[in-house]
Amino acid sequence: MATGNDNSPSRQRLHSFWLTFWPSVLRWCVSFAIAIALWELCARVFVANNLFLTPLSAIAVRAMELASTGELQDHVYVSFVEFASGFILSIVVGILLGVVLAEFPLIRGLVDPWVSMLYATPIIALGPLFILWLGIGIVSKIAIVFLVAVFPILINTVSGLTTTDRTLIEVAQSFGASAKQIYTKVRMPAAIPFIIAGLRLSVARALVGVVVAELFGARAGLGFLILNSAQSFDTAGVFVGVIILAIAGVVSVELLKWIEFKLAPWRNQESEE
Amino acid sequence: MEPKLTTRNLCKFFRKGDLSVEVLRDINVDIYPGEFVSIVGASGCGKTTFLRLVDGLIAPSNGTVSIDGEIVDKPGKKISFVFQQDGLFPWRTVISNAAIGPEIAGQPASHARNIGHEFLRLVGLSGFDHHYPHELSGGMRQRVNIARALSAGADVMLMDEPFAALDAQTREIMQSELLRIWQETKKTVLLVTHQIDEAVYLSDRVLIFTVRPGRLKQEVCIDLPRPRELSIKRTPDFVHYTDIIWRAIEEEVRESIGREARSVASLHS
Repeated sequence: MATGNDNSPSRQRLHSFWLTFWPSVLRWCVSFAIAIALWELCARVFVANNLFLTPLSAIAVRAMELASTGELQDHVYVSFVEFASGFILSIVVGILLGVVLAEFPLIRGLVDPWVSMLYATPIIALGPLFILWLGIGIVSKIAIVFLVAVFPILINTVSGLTTTDRTLIEVAQSFGASAKQIYTKVRMPAAIPFIIAGLRLSVARALVGVVVAELFGARAGLGFLILNSAQSFDTAGVFVGVIILAIAGVVSVELLKWIEFKLAPWRNQESEE
Repeated sequence: MEPKLTTRNLCKFFRKGDLSVEVLRDINVDIYPGEFVSIVGASGCGKTTFLRLVDGLIAPSNGTVSIDGEIVDKPGKKISFVFQQDGLFPWRTVISNAAIGPEIAGQPASHARNIGHEFLRLVGLSGFDHHYPHELSGGMRQRVNIARALSAGADVMLMDEPFAALDAQTREIMQSELLRIWQETKKTVLLVTHQIDEAVYLSDRVLIFTVRPGRLKQEVCIDLPRPRELSIKRTPDFVHYTDIIWRAIEEEVRESIGREARSVASLHS
């Protein structure tokens, strides 16, 4: 039994996770180093005008300046609150509403056309209206983030709960499972990978939502920083905002991968690229 | 001896739009405790439908299924079903899959796991408790599937072509394993297969169904000594039995192929 423990499958899985994870970290580092070098070279040698392309070193200096006054932290904080509140709200509403729609085909029939319509609509274009209705503060941004992010989660929850493999349901039935047991022991776990796929789609939409909503009108936030810097020809300031957003995007996608690894360990093999 | 499982005048129709298709007609079968009975027949003879009726997964159009004298109208604790596709829950580990029968029946988790362990050991899969189904081979998955059915504690096991998806060598091994498990657990088994040698090797009796609508065409008692080794498949007696069954089934298969050809021809005309 002692040898069995050394080779426990959960450890093997963790091991294979790191084996696939580390090379990708290395690839990222190398590719970043090359990009940074190229950027610096281009900005210093080929494009001498700092308005068009600012050297990374200048962007770093600008970031330090913004951080020393606490301004940068304020922008990051505001955007983060808008993003997190809107995204969490869309997770809660998307999953709960998805459960309801999956359970009641009649309601689903009535709501479906609206869901597909709103999903296809570039809701972000309604941004100015939301600012008119809800003000220039964070509430209008949370509303926009919520609306752009909720539909992929909602749609995936519904399809995850309604497309369960017939055989698995029959297996549970043949063991005498009640309708409730079939729900909790078969349909819910079968829907988890779908829901996570929905979260992945939504997180990208939510990030775009925050920035564009702030561009339409705000008092603070990374979108506001980008807009403000652009209007005062501060190209370095624009890049500070963009780079922070890029980092936020990568971090949130990796975080979701980790959540999937934890919630759906049986999916590891399929999700390895 | 009282039969364990009885079907009386069992009929099943399926509706296809306005059309009513008769799948099974007047099946009368008695299966005795501890018996191993196989059903063979051409494809589309309603073998699988018959098993689903017996399990109570679908309702008969006419006639009854009873187990220990009680009418079956929904899946119950007395019968468990081994599906053709292994139907393991991909999000559950091997032990958690094996323990789902007692778990659904409301047993405490630790007790359910103990039962699961016991039957995983019986099917020869100790030490794979925490693996997920996708980490196992087809034969191992089917072992878990059988352990899962056994751990539900039913007296009767219905098996729907459980080894059809396995390669030939694995299938042979699984057949002899199934015999060993059956002898150790003394279950009553009703197995559907399209492999005649599998039916002869495993069974006390083989039931041959006609093509649609499926009726009981012939019943062959397999009077081979037990316990049976795989090498028995090469004895003259064994070949004799497969020959009898093959001859009974041959015209049904030809009829079934003819029908398919005609329906394809009518599609293209």
